[in-house]
Amino acid sequence: MIGGNEVKIWNTLQNGIIAENPVFIQLLGMCPTLAVSTSAINGIGMGLATTAVLLGSNVVISAVKKIIPDKIRIPAFIVIIATFVTIVGLVMKAFVPALDQALGLFIPLIVVNCIILGRAEAFASKNSVIQSLADGIGMGLGFTLALFVLGTIREIIGAGTIFGNLIFEGYQPALIMILPPGAFLLLGLLLALFNWISVKKARGESR
Amino acid sequence: MKEIRKLGLILLVITAIAAAALGYVNMITKGPIAEQNRLADIAARKQVLPQAEDFEQLDIKSPGNYLIIKEIYKGLQGGKDIGYTIKTVPNGYGGPVEVMIGISSDGTIIGVNIGNHTETPGLGAKATDEAFKGQYTNKTADMNIKVIKSGTPSDDQISAIAGSTITSVAVTDGVNEAIKYFNENLR
Repeated sequence: MIGGNEVKIWNTLQNGIIAENPVFIQLLGMCPTLAVSTSAINGIGMGLATTAVLLGSNVVISAVKKIIPDKIRIPAFIVIIATFVTIVGLVMKAFVPALDQALGLFIPLIVVNCIILGRAEAFASKNSVIQSLADGIGMGLGFTLALFVLGTIREIIGAGTIFGNLIFEGYQPALIMILPPGAFLLLGLLLALFNWISVKKARGESR
Repeated sequence: MKEIRKLGLILLVITAIAAAALGYVNMITKGPIAEQNRLADIAARKQVLPQAEDFEQLDIKSPGNYLIIKEIYKGLQGGKDIGYTIKTVPNGYGGPVEVMIGISSDGTIIGVNIGNHTETPGLGAKATDEAFKGQYTNKTADMNIKVIKSGTPSDDQISAIAGSTITSVAVTDGVNEAIKYFNENLR
């Protein structure tokens, strides 16, 4: 038997991945989305680093939400988030130096990713620790999924490779796809696709 | 006044806990990070001067004239010096770029390696690819290497990374500086 609580946790988890995907539906965290999705591996690395920060900050903020007065909640949240970002950065430097090299300055910039402060404000400061944990995982995986999809498509068209392996012999890569304009073009097309699907779905349901 | 004091105190407690957590993590990761950098340097020296069995650090002569040169090692094979590795840190697009150059004693570039950098992933970061850094191999120390954006490079030229001319020029500056030092002090 599955209790009501487990169903709720499961729903929270799923919400972040598709229904409220931070990139495709909420349009949050556009800066890292556009900047580091130049290859599939960069997308996954950035996504997982963000997930780790989101998990930590959601849980801690949810646990201390009663102690922090409303007036200073934003600076308190930022301190907690910045602490987790620095920890993730140091751990990556020490144990996965190759990924740290590839992502470079985008790791410290997770601090200003609005998904993290957004979830702290909208979710963790109002819900239980367990729910916030589920929300952190869901939103983090949703973000990772979006970056992975963008990164894979951009890498295939823009560099002719996937995870660094050449796939087409003699293919002249369309460099624009790994340059900033390619990121905007592809994000626009994917957003249109996402909207088209959800509008179609909504129409089908109302009939 | 009373409220401000209370809010300030709560923030102080939060930041103090954060600082303690960071201090703890720093303590754990400091060793591994220094070790990673040391290993990366050793691997880079081996890679740019593969014949050498042993390396010996040299002092930089008149460092004021060679601001971007950071470290020089002499490569030894069976007790004889066969070349040098010179680590330079020119400025790229996103900050300093570590460029290690291996030059044989007769003045041929054996290899170039890119260490820590903050160049843009997918663009300037491609300087670490063999397709780019391999271009310096077998250039000789009696030339000043130039960067071209299109066409086929001649003997003293290399092709820039598409979309990342600043990074390409920075790495080339590092190589040229190493060549200059080699000609003025090691030859």
